[in-house]
Amino acid sequence: MSTPLVQARRANDYDAIVVGSGMTGGWAAKELTQQGLRTLVLEAGRPITPERDAVEHTAPFEMKFRGLGDRRTVEARQRTQRNSVSFDEMSHVFWTDDVDNPYSAPAGKPFDWFRARQVGGKSLIWGRQVYRMSDLDFEANAREGIAVDWPIRYRDIAQWYDHVERFIGISGKAEGIAHLPDSVFLKPMAMNVVEQHVQSRIAARYGRDRVMTIGRVAVLTESRPGRAACHYCGPCERGCTTRSYFSSVNATLPAARATGRMTLRPHSIVRSLIYDAGKHRVSGVRVIDAQTGQALEFTARVVFVCASAIESARLLLNSATPEFSTGLANSSDQVGRNIMDHIKWGGASGEFDGWTDRRVLGSRPNGIYVPRFRNIGTTRADFVRGYGFQGSANRSGWQNATRAPGIGLAFKRRLTALGPWSMTFNGYGEMLPNPANRATVHPTLVDKWGIPSLHIDCAWSANELAIHRDMSITAAEMLEASGARNVQPSTRGPSTPGNANHEMGTVRMGRDPKTSVLNQWNQSWDIPNLFVTDGGAMTSSGCQNPSLTYMALTARACRYAVEELKRRNL
Amino acid sequence: MDRRALVQWLVATGGMAAFHRLSAHDVETIGRDVHRRVAQQVSESNTGADASDAQPARGRALNGHAAATVAAAAERIIPASDTPGATDARVTSFIDTMMTDWYSAAERDRFVRGLDELDERSRAQHGRVFVDVPVASQVTLLETVDAEVTALRTARGASANEHWFAMLKYLTVWGYCTSEAGMRRTLKSYPPPMRYDGAAPVRAS
Repeated sequence: MSTPLVQARRANDYDAIVVGSGMTGGWAAKELTQQGLRTLVLEAGRPITPERDAVEHTAPFEMKFRGLGDRRTVEARQRTQRNSVSFDEMSHVFWTDDVDNPYSAPAGKPFDWFRARQVGGKSLIWGRQVYRMSDLDFEANAREGIAVDWPIRYRDIAQWYDHVERFIGISGKAEGIAHLPDSVFLKPMAMNVVEQHVQSRIAARYGRDRVMTIGRVAVLTESRPGRAACHYCGPCERGCTTRSYFSSVNATLPAARATGRMTLRPHSIVRSLIYDAGKHRVSGVRVIDAQTGQALEFTARVVFVCASAIESARLLLNSATPEFSTGLANSSDQVGRNIMDHIKWGGASGEFDGWTDRRVLGSRPNGIYVPRFRNIGTTRADFVRGYGFQGSANRSGWQNATRAPGIGLAFKRRLTALGPWSMTFNGYGEMLPNPANRATVHPTLVDKWGIPSLHIDCAWSANELAIHRDMSITAAEMLEASGARNVQPSTRGPSTPGNANHEMGTVRMGRDPKTSVLNQWNQSWDIPNLFVTDGGAMTSSGCQNPSLTYMALTARACRYAVEELKRRNL
Repeated sequence: MDRRALVQWLVATGGMAAFHRLSAHDVETIGRDVHRRVAQQVSESNTGADASDAQPARGRALNGHAAATVAAAAERIIPASDTPGATDARVTSFIDTMMTDWYSAAERDRFVRGLDELDERSRAQHGRVFVDVPVASQVTLLETVDAEVTALRTARGASANEHWFAMLKYLTVWGYCTSEAGMRRTLKSYPPPMRYDGAAPVRAS
């Protein structure tokens, strides 16, 4: 697209600046460059090249600690990041160093803030599950009088889900469920024999009320130019040499680079936004070079903040000016508030007799999904909203022998014996927005580069705790209905807030500048050339894995911003 | 990586390089990676049964006698048969790494004291340290300790995992089942199948 927007000015001046190169930063880079904008993408961490950095095929015997991780270093440097289920001996390099990047939480109220600083951000280590939200979600706040209403409905975002899904590639199965709209699907991954059994028994018992389907996952099951179909090696969180799963490194950033309009600058920590009080616009960003410590400034006509929900809030709070004394674009006082995650660790597992002559071969980077079935049509007294289940069936292997009795040849035979089939359901429950769940600038704590850190105060409400209790009951019901024996409801308490790695809501969209930070276009009410399109924008959390919605909102906001630039409204 | 897998991989990455119009730097990176993998393959194929397994370097947690004791006990736990044993799988080297660089000093000392205790039992019953008694006597000694751990597990649950022999067995199994010999020849879990089958037949074993 040739456009008068493309004008080379000073060396550090661009049409657009994107802060962050992860899930949404990659999408902003792709959309803005493809629509003609010379775009600077600023990434706080190091460059990533799949051929060099993807380590998914490293065998256990090539690892010093055989997959048990470098315990001493991890305990010294990554005491929070290690809590992620995707953190392991190889993937730990894709999480931040907690000593260099500190934050605090009140005593007895831990919060797991998982952070990734490298090109690709958390898109390298995400769980890859992708589910559309629906009007059940977009209307929920208004219907129940909770927090503020979403400024959009499903019809506003549906075409942008299509747009994103066609590019990233999603495998899954169409189910025609109104409140979990189908995506544009590649062929679904297969369920194993026991998952198929459980699926059919759930269907027989619950009909359309509870549906078990194969997980919808941003992993290719059909090759396309430049990206190969998944070969089921397993540990996606270590990177992907064949670019089979979607990450910004695997897909959006190469597309942006191909336009010739992207400048990607790693090791660039955005310290603050620069506000031009005369023009009521952000004029650019102040950057600290992470390697040299040098202070730099870059300018642009529009700024997209895609640093991840809490990091983006931190950037706004750390960019206070005389006009915005409590944080830039924060006249609503909502920046940093309404932190949401998904509550986990409710569910159940059970064992199955039979299929002893069958096993799973290969490592499927996906499981099954049971869409939300609570508070649809009927209304429960003990909680609003609901939850979905992820899960899988498999047989245990040699790990069981590590604590088993015996030695010698009989014991050795146990190593190759497979245990019974077992099936597990793990709940992911919706969290309500609550202004008291809040990140604030810490009065004294700073990071390695002297930038003020955050204090994060976040806890589950009674509604989430009721959801957590219900998960274990309904999961056990479904296993009983499937004929499982030894059904064990989860005995774990609720997950640590943040542990689902779905933090969101800190820069929320809304219909009223007094109670929200962003309008329906992810555009700051206060500063029109400032957009925030990561999870911070979420007005409610749904119970679906949220990245797909962040990406769709980003693409939608980019189109709007380009049109507004053309109309000279920014 | 075998030759066939290497060729497949080269074709795959070469194709992607063309599509993404990688920079010279990126292409160079691919080249280096190929060399690294080839070199690794050669070094693997030159590594036979590990003669140095019971002779750890200076500065390691397990001295010569402790390493020899671990090696003998691990081989009794997972003996060689038509498939490799713990010695073939270089389990002692892994356990030494864990004791040197993973466990705390207190955990390491508890483990080493346990090896001393095994020698004391051996001397009391046979007049010689563990490594110097016949294999059958080693088996009997270890079966006795193993039964004690089982009883402890029944009485105290997971705290039994702190017993030195529970540590040894855990590390022996883990080290064996993550070793190249154990994965390739016993578990047949390496190389990975590179496909998914959710109803694969269980091999007769």
